[in-house]
Amino acid sequence: MRHDIVLVGLNHRTAGVDVRERFALAEHCQPDTWAVPPAEALSEALILSTCNRVELLGVGADSASVRDHLLRSWACARHAEPEDLAPFLYEYKGNEAVRHLFAVASSLDSMVLGEPQILGQLKQAYRRSVESRATGVILNRLLHKAFSVAKRVRTETAVAANAVSISYAAVELARRIFGDMPKHRALLVGAGEMAELAAMHLLQAGIDEIVVVNRTRERAVELARRFHGRAASFEELPARIADADIVITSTGSPEPIIRARDLRAVLKTRKNRPMFFIDIAVPRDIDPDVNGLDNVYLYDIDDLREVVEENLAGRREEAAKAGAILDEEVALFSGWLESLESQPTVVELVRRGERVAEEELARTLKRLGPLDENQRAAITAMAHAIAHKLNHAPIMFLKEDGMAREGAPARVNLVRRVFALDAPPGRHGRGA
Amino acid sequence: MSLADLLAPETSTVLTLVVYALAGAVGLVGMLARRTALRRAACWLAVAAFACQTLLLALGAHASHPDGLTLGAYLQMLAWFVLLCGLGLWARFRQDAPLIFAALLGLILFLMSTPWLDDAVPLPPSLRGPFFALHIGALFLSLGLLALAFAAGALFLFLERRIKSKQRMAGIWQDMPALAVLDKINAICALTAFPLYTLGIVAGLFWARPVFGGTLTGDPKQVVSLLVWLLLAVLFHNRLASGWKGRKPARLAVFIFLLSVFSLVVVNVFMETQHAFLRG
Repeated sequence: MRHDIVLVGLNHRTAGVDVRERFALAEHCQPDTWAVPPAEALSEALILSTCNRVELLGVGADSASVRDHLLRSWACARHAEPEDLAPFLYEYKGNEAVRHLFAVASSLDSMVLGEPQILGQLKQAYRRSVESRATGVILNRLLHKAFSVAKRVRTETAVAANAVSISYAAVELARRIFGDMPKHRALLVGAGEMAELAAMHLLQAGIDEIVVVNRTRERAVELARRFHGRAASFEELPARIADADIVITSTGSPEPIIRARDLRAVLKTRKNRPMFFIDIAVPRDIDPDVNGLDNVYLYDIDDLREVVEENLAGRREEAAKAGAILDEEVALFSGWLESLESQPTVVELVRRGERVAEEELARTLKRLGPLDENQRAAITAMAHAIAHKLNHAPIMFLKEDGMAREGAPARVNLVRRVFALDAPPGRHGRGA
Repeated sequence: MSLADLLAPETSTVLTLVVYALAGAVGLVGMLARRTALRRAACWLAVAAFACQTLLLALGAHASHPDGLTLGAYLQMLAWFVLLCGLGLWARFRQDAPLIFAALLGLILFLMSTPWLDDAVPLPPSLRGPFFALHIGALFLSLGLLALAFAAGALFLFLERRIKSKQRMAGIWQDMPALAVLDKINAICALTAFPLYTLGIVAGLFWARPVFGGTLTGDPKQVVSLLVWLLLAVLFHNRLASGWKGRKPARLAVFIFLLSVFSLVVVNVFMETQHAFLRG
């Protein structure tokens, strides 16, 4: 029996957010709301619906019927026509579908290359498909393989290494300077989305305390409450800087508010303990000369952007390496699938051999006359051994995963013709 | 194989060298391939190398030349002290890089020791005694500490320059300890090395009086060692009193260790000194 794997879907590259919203199936992948009804054409199905992609994976004997059934079910669930989906769709069949699924699981197809959420989302999608009794031998094996491929890509390449957001890049740098975060304090000067995000990441990294300084006292108090820290007035800034190891600035000041000359005395009182300044403001809040001081490190928004760009480029390089892993794993899975296709023929071949052995044995034993138990057993064993040995070569030929020049269907056809497995029973008679 | 065969300089050296080489090679591959498991394995192999050498020493491998000291044994003892310091730092900071460095340096010292296992410089009975043991023990321990202060300092200078100049941390540099940790390792090593070095020097000076007829003899080794001691004193004082951190102490620690290596390799081997190991 053939097992065609088909994947249809749309993602952030092929469809805008409005289209993704319109065709989302997040509400249609629970057992009681399952969007893909069982059908003869479709033996297994999986729905993956996230904010960046909606994908349907199906298995059946005929890829065209599987595709049509998936699209009809999808459109129907969203009260649309399959044609409405067409402009935004991509479709993959067979090994291409398997490769795409492996790429999605490994986050090689994600908007932010290497982001870790997609694997969790795929696992959840699989769980729901299992709960909806929509999966079978093929998808169970395929999804488990996808999870292990994702793990392999993550451990064997650096596709998920290094921060790809400005705020997180700042925290990663802080770690390179200070190591453990819990013994250090941060100072947030001013407020802005990115600065607040950086402070939030520092908090998650376990920073000891965050002090917030703002020209507006209320805003400082509000932020301090959010970060479980303390608020301080702008006039206290020089004293607060001396206490802080990490300073994030994001004020609207047209002039730098922290200069190298102010910091020399601060460093002395700190006994030269290192300081890391993250200047997210434009125009900059911190004089670039500060980076020239010993034990002081300064990164402004452009520096951080550059770090992120380089990290992204690094991830892209790693994604190319991951491609080789995907190819290898797709070949392995395809070999397994092909062996599944040849399985019925293997069984038939073995049965046929046994039948022929039994028939010939009956005839021979009749001719030989009375034999003792041992002689009988020896002749029976010999007849079955000959049948098994003759079958060994064609069975190995059928199981040659990806080694033979011919594909599995061609090999199955060849063996069936040579051994007349599809011939009417009469033709198997003597000497078959 | 009898115990005496096992403790023969060649056999005990090969045995220990193999474990050192394993630790060094696994550590190096772990660093280059960025495999945490291999780096961890290298640390345990370094523990095994230290245990192996200690066991052989305890059984009497050091006593193969009872009347003197070979340059080979001298270098192997130094390797033991370097590894001891590496293990101490590993226990304290749980950072594998310093221990892998210590294992690699130990391996180099062991390899250097192999041609010099038999040419013992006879030690007159007057030279054997507690002052000699103190002199060698304290100085070797401080040299081991200085080697690790050098490694931490050099790595600090390299990584610090990359962070200051906003270069990307790629490849193996991503697995290196944070700057603050390297500075702390450098500080602990330098601060411990100074009193030990002082003890070693003072023991040496006491010991020199009856043997060489005077405390300060102007021997080249003595001069270089006093210079190292002076620089260590500057580092010690500034670390403690002036709050030196980061680049300055790292540079000085690197320089002090290089001077010590010069003193160890050039002065001991090639110069006319009371500390010579190779006498024709």
